[in-house]
Amino acid sequence: MATSSATERTAQVDRTVPGGRMSWRRVLGLAVLALGAVVFLFPFYYMIVGAFQREPNPGISGAFPNPANLTLANFGDINAEIDLVRTLINSGIFTGGVLLGTFAIGLLAGYALAQLEFRGRGVVFNAMLLILVLPFQLFMIPLYVVIVRTYGLADNYLGMILPFAVNATAVFIFRQFFLQLPRELFESARMDGASEFKILRSIAVPLARPSIITALVVTFIGPWNEFLWPFLITKQQDLQPLAVALANYISTVAARAANPFGSILAGAVVLAIPAVVVFVVFQRQFVESNLGSGVKG
Amino acid sequence: MAVAAPPGGRMRRLLGRDPIGYAFVAPYAIFLVALFGYPLALSVYISFFDFFFAAPGAQVARPFVGLDNFAEILGDPVFQRAILNVAEFIVINVPLTVVLSLVLAAALNARLPFRVFFRTSYYIPYVTASVAVIGVWLWFFSRGGLLNDTLGPLAPDPSWLVNEFWAMPIIALVVTWKQLGFYVLLYLAALQNIPKELYEAAEVDGAGPIRRFMAITVPGVRPATTLVVILATIIGANLFTEPYLLTGGGGPNGASMSPVLLMYREGIEQGHAGYAAAMGVILAFAVMTISAINRFVLERE
Amino acid sequence: MSRASIRFASIATILMLVLSSCLGEDGQDGGASAGDGATAATGPIRIWYSNNPEEVAWGEAVVAAWNADHPDEEVTAEEIPAGESSEEVIGASITAGNTPCLIFNTAPAAVPQFQQAGGLVALDDFSDGASYIQERTGDRAEQYKFTDGKFYQMPWKTNPVMIFYNKEVFRTAGLDPENPPLSTYDEFLSTAETLVAEGGVEAAIWPSPDAQFFQPWFDFYPLFAAQSGGQQLVEDGEPQFNNEAGLAVANFWRSLYDQGLTPNEAYNGDSFADQQAAMAIVGPWAIAVYGDAVDWGAVPVPTQDGMDASEVHTFSDEKSSAMYTACENRGTAWEFLKFATSEESDGQLLELTGQMPMRADVVASFPDYFEANPEYEAFADQASRTVEVPIVPNSIEMWQTFRTAYSESVIFGTTPIEEAFNAAADEIRTLVSGS
Repeated sequence: MATSSATERTAQVDRTVPGGRMSWRRVLGLAVLALGAVVFLFPFYYMIVGAFQREPNPGISGAFPNPANLTLANFGDINAEIDLVRTLINSGIFTGGVLLGTFAIGLLAGYALAQLEFRGRGVVFNAMLLILVLPFQLFMIPLYVVIVRTYGLADNYLGMILPFAVNATAVFIFRQFFLQLPRELFESARMDGASEFKILRSIAVPLARPSIITALVVTFIGPWNEFLWPFLITKQQDLQPLAVALANYISTVAARAANPFGSILAGAVVLAIPAVVVFVVFQRQFVESNLGSGVKG
Repeated sequence: MAVAAPPGGRMRRLLGRDPIGYAFVAPYAIFLVALFGYPLALSVYISFFDFFFAAPGAQVARPFVGLDNFAEILGDPVFQRAILNVAEFIVINVPLTVVLSLVLAAALNARLPFRVFFRTSYYIPYVTASVAVIGVWLWFFSRGGLLNDTLGPLAPDPSWLVNEFWAMPIIALVVTWKQLGFYVLLYLAALQNIPKELYEAAEVDGAGPIRRFMAITVPGVRPATTLVVILATIIGANLFTEPYLLTGGGGPNGASMSPVLLMYREGIEQGHAGYAAAMGVILAFAVMTISAINRFVLERE
Repeated sequence: MSRASIRFASIATILMLVLSSCLGEDGQDGGASAGDGATAATGPIRIWYSNNPEEVAWGEAVVAAWNADHPDEEVTAEEIPAGESSEEVIGASITAGNTPCLIFNTAPAAVPQFQQAGGLVALDDFSDGASYIQERTGDRAEQYKFTDGKFYQMPWKTNPVMIFYNKEVFRTAGLDPENPPLSTYDEFLSTAETLVAEGGVEAAIWPSPDAQFFQPWFDFYPLFAAQSGGQQLVEDGEPQFNNEAGLAVANFWRSLYDQGLTPNEAYNGDSFADQQAAMAIVGPWAIAVYGDAVDWGAVPVPTQDGMDASEVHTFSDEKSSAMYTACENRGTAWEFLKFATSEESDGQLLELTGQMPMRADVVASFPDYFEANPEYEAFADQASRTVEVPIVPNSIEMWQTFRTAYSESVIFGTTPIEEAFNAAADEIRTLVSGS
């Protein structure tokens, strides 16, 4: 297995770029990247600024807020209507359940679809693709009927989690990445008599770590921002996730707050923060895997 | 793929080489059938009827209409416009997404100062709920908004979002911005699997950074590219939130109507479930076909 | 086609056939809809009302009062947001058979659809059903009957739509804030010009230009009700909106859009509350929103040649309560419905929300309230002359067809108004005939 020490890597970078680390090319690249980052961040920045303002400021000067205009009142306003803590916990339960389902079930399925040969593999793959392709709006009512009447899961977390339990995109991602791993990698372990499950656990999963992280982050967003389905399943407010409470707030109640725009943005900021945190924590995992010389070419 | 003669004889040949695959895939298959089997089957079934959802036990007339729904949809100018809109969207969004996300991923993969900040900033739009961020875009593109202020006399007369020509491209740009973080992630993950040695060898051979990118990076992430193209196409075809929020339900004279928005209107608002299901079937066919073509083109060995 | 695809397709077909045979049984399934026995059944019930804070306050008070007196017939209440999404939610739960007994937020425009789905109980089933409704609401109750002559909804509260104007902006523009010149189209237009030129606002009035089916209720329909002397969009199966009155209204709005006095882009938020528009076309529920932010006044919507305020009609923006077939204890539900619409409960509604109960003579019934809140009297008076959406089959598709025609001819001016309206009228005539 190739290992490159930190010093070697640094040396490579220096060799790669003529003139060393501060070449004009590098600086230009960084500048472009920074400009792009500003463009990408700007609406979010504007949201944060808006969430902290007492009076909404729709003009361009709103981007540079007057310190006297800053306040935490919007957060207070929205918390008075929506219990932010309770709804965040519900969001966590909903999303956590989905993550569990996707990893327990989806990972196995993705591996099987990529590396194992069995009759009917194509059928399952096409079914997964079909679910991915068809819009949720099409299924919504029959799915609701199935879950509420056939399975009797109205008004509980399981009913909320179930349709989302195995994220088809994640399965697709798993499959694509497991496809990248050559069979030879597993052959030796198989010939040693290791069970397929053990192979998956000790060889395939560690190698596919970046794609698993990607799938985790992607699977997180769906249920975290979902505002229609949980509301269909239950009208009990203490089961509602934050995205639902926020959507309901926007459509009816917000107009009464002192700064409606501000309080909506405050809610949106609270909704976005955990997702950003999850990403920041896990993006560190995107480091080069030790695939290196374990593979031919 | 070379297959050695399977031990275990006929049974193995019948089921495939790795019947353990059934065990692995079973939970997922059960999930799909238990949850989506009925909705999927029902959706296809009702597309042949003048169908609407009714209370349990209600006796209602739902006549069989065969292919009428399909014929009506395909001949409806609003639907045709919606399909064109989505095609326009895909033509703008997919290539832009592939190129931008790969280039960005390559950049963000390098050892950069502030790498975490950069990675997070490109990812953030993906995370923020559309309803919250739409307000900013509405303001930006409005008649008196930032873009028009900057452009001054160059601003188009019905301003962007109410302009029949510009409405859809604007939506394409906004959605590209929003989704990019996801694709960057996919590419970032794929890039981890390209051995550093390849770059080193190329660099020793005197290849410049662009040459290295084209000769190593691009081919090296091909499975991810397939994934990105297919997912971007699917997401584009299922466009709903942005046309609904940004252009108030379809834009000026349906200039930014999307098929799924139309399905929502017909199926959920107006209760014509069979008609909407037929639209779904047509859409699914189209997308599956395009995806199959994409896969064929991209996965050619 | 690969073999996998063929196999997939055949499995899918078999699955479909198997599952569709279950559908055949669905029709005969007894389900939750009970028969005549349920009309008398009593017991606990569930209700939904809007999550609007004032309504929640009212709802909680009424439910608490009922529960105190009826411990065996407890009412449990849940909130759902009032708005487009509530129709989705109600529709889905009708299909699943788990709607609550009463929903206090049923939009009249959705009633035909819910009725067609077998989701609504005809209140005529109760011995005093029709008479109670007619006694409480008076003549206006007629507008709420379905084409079969029955009441599938009880008209509950109305928010008659009027023109709110910003007195401060009028002052700045040099217009009389106590007697604003807004009663004829010509007056309105010239006032609008002055407002935009000298009032410091971006728009004279800013109704939403969006294309959803319900938007006409806040631009075209109130003015059509006024101009036509109380006509509905469709009457007795015949579209009325393309008559002389309708075309006059459409041309009036067209002038506003043409002269840039009304933007054809949506405003994100409330343009009147944010002082970007000098006027708003809305009902009294908005008073809770504007509160102290805007120094507001209200006048009836304009007509072409002006009319005495006591003759102007408008759109009702009404919400009904309806009883749903999934209800088992309909006896209790009906009694509770009567309780929640009694004079006392209606009085509480008025007091807590400022919305007008659909009662025959609101001002006379609650003199104390109107003495304390004289600014609401204009609304109460207007409430006696409201026009409802037509309760006809395919009503939502009807409104969508109209809005599309209105949008392309009036808001965006790409087709001639008369042509677009006549084409829409032909389509709508077919729609409401029930085919």
